[in-house]
Amino acid sequence: MARLVFENVSVRYPIYNARAQSLRHQFMRIATGGRIAAEAGHTVSVTALDEVSFELNSGDSIGLIGHNGAGKSTLLRTMAGIYTQDSGRIIREGRIATVLEIGSGMDPELSGYENILRMGMLMGMSLKEARSKIPEIEEFTELGDFLNLPVRTYSSGMTMRLMFAVGTSFQPEILLVDEMFGTGDAGFQEKAKARMHDLIANAEIFVFASHDHVMLGNLCSSVYELKHGKMTHLPDFHTKILEQSEQ
Amino acid sequence: MSSRWLETRRDISEALNRLPAALFLSWSDTRARYKRSMLGPFWLTLGTAIGVGGLGFVWSTLFKMDKATFIPLLSVGLILWGFIAGIVTESSQLFVQNAQIIRNLRIPLFFYPIKLVLRHLINLAHNAVVIVIVFLIYPPHWHPGILLAIPGFLLVVLNLIWMSLFIGMFAARYRDTETAITNFMPLLFFMSPVLFKAEQLGIGAWVVWLNPFSYFISVVRDPLLNFPTPSFVWPVAIGMAILGWAITLWMFNSRRTRIPYWI
Repeated sequence: MARLVFENVSVRYPIYNARAQSLRHQFMRIATGGRIAAEAGHTVSVTALDEVSFELNSGDSIGLIGHNGAGKSTLLRTMAGIYTQDSGRIIREGRIATVLEIGSGMDPELSGYENILRMGMLMGMSLKEARSKIPEIEEFTELGDFLNLPVRTYSSGMTMRLMFAVGTSFQPEILLVDEMFGTGDAGFQEKAKARMHDLIANAEIFVFASHDHVMLGNLCSSVYELKHGKMTHLPDFHTKILEQSEQ
Repeated sequence: MSSRWLETRRDISEALNRLPAALFLSWSDTRARYKRSMLGPFWLTLGTAIGVGGLGFVWSTLFKMDKATFIPLLSVGLILWGFIAGIVTESSQLFVQNAQIIRNLRIPLFFYPIKLVLRHLINLAHNAVVIVIVFLIYPPHWHPGILLAIPGFLLVVLNLIWMSLFIGMFAARYRDTETAITNFMPLLFFMSPVLFKAEQLGIGAWVVWLNPFSYFISVVRDPLLNFPTPSFVWPVAIGMAILGWAITLWMFNSRRTRIPYWI
């Protein structure tokens, strides 16, 4: 059983400017009592998540919408345990997979096959397990002989296919996907959709951040909006989508 | 025990569980670097061999030193220095370079220093071929004390792991650390007994012992080449490991969760 519970979770994000990241300025600040390099100490803090609470259980598939910088990626990363909350409580049960940024964890100089092993091992598989996933990934990505070529020769759509295939290959119980997933062509999107439906059918949790309302409507059973770090449920999201597509 | 400390311990133990993955990845990194070359990672060996051969020949002639003493001294010293300096310099990029992975996959952060040190151990293994060749030409004096080089080397590795994590965190927060390190390393090179023995400096030898890396070279090279090790070298190296680990663990514990925001 997968479960993901947030109780009043807040994440504050320090943003360092070039001066705050400079050791020389920090020394100056200490040495001069802050008179000369007064600016150096100022790190702006952004509240990315503000007392967010929700509970997700097996079978839930939720969509996240919101403006750029509304905190969608921060929320996904906090769900994954990459960012740690400043306050509040998080309960995570189940194996988590993330498909967040295109090409992360891949070495562009190495071939597709080598990258499958690399990514698999980064995600905690043994070499043997990672090897055993290769046929399935070959089939899913349909990249054929391209898998023998270095990943730097791939288009972004191809990299996306590979990433998505590897990310979902070890049956995650909680799958977190960010935006960029739109780069694949129609054929791939169909396949990806089918795989996500499988995952959701296998009673797992799926969280998807996107600006593509139609896709959100297709994949997610409920949709939330993030605004100024607050999360609100949009109960009539699906009916609105229907209305829009009818117009 | 605080939950923070439990989390830190879990980070470290999960990283150690991933040792096979770290080994695989550092090996694939090494191969990726020499991907389109004929010799592959043996370019490292060749490069070191050329360096040791050339410098050894020129300097032994210049300083009128006995080649049989100077060349083993130089080759072991240079290779150890390359190992130490490689880890220290690259540690300033430890988290910054892996920013994309850190922000997208949940991997224990202690994994990165382990991986870096492993990669340099692989390089060192390639370079060690040169030492073997040098020892075939100028056979060392076999004595039981030579075995001390093994615990000596382990102590060096233990020290380098905390240094790597410490520098990595510091450099992630303060970006000019990298420049500072690259500027200081040549100075430390001349302050370390790579090209000479510390006692050759006579009364000025204390300068060498200001440099922490001199101890690392001494605990490995002295037993290997049957040089006497000054009595304070081992205690200082062990003390550095204890104090260094204590400070680094404290810092890692209190600042670990900030790292993804710094990079």
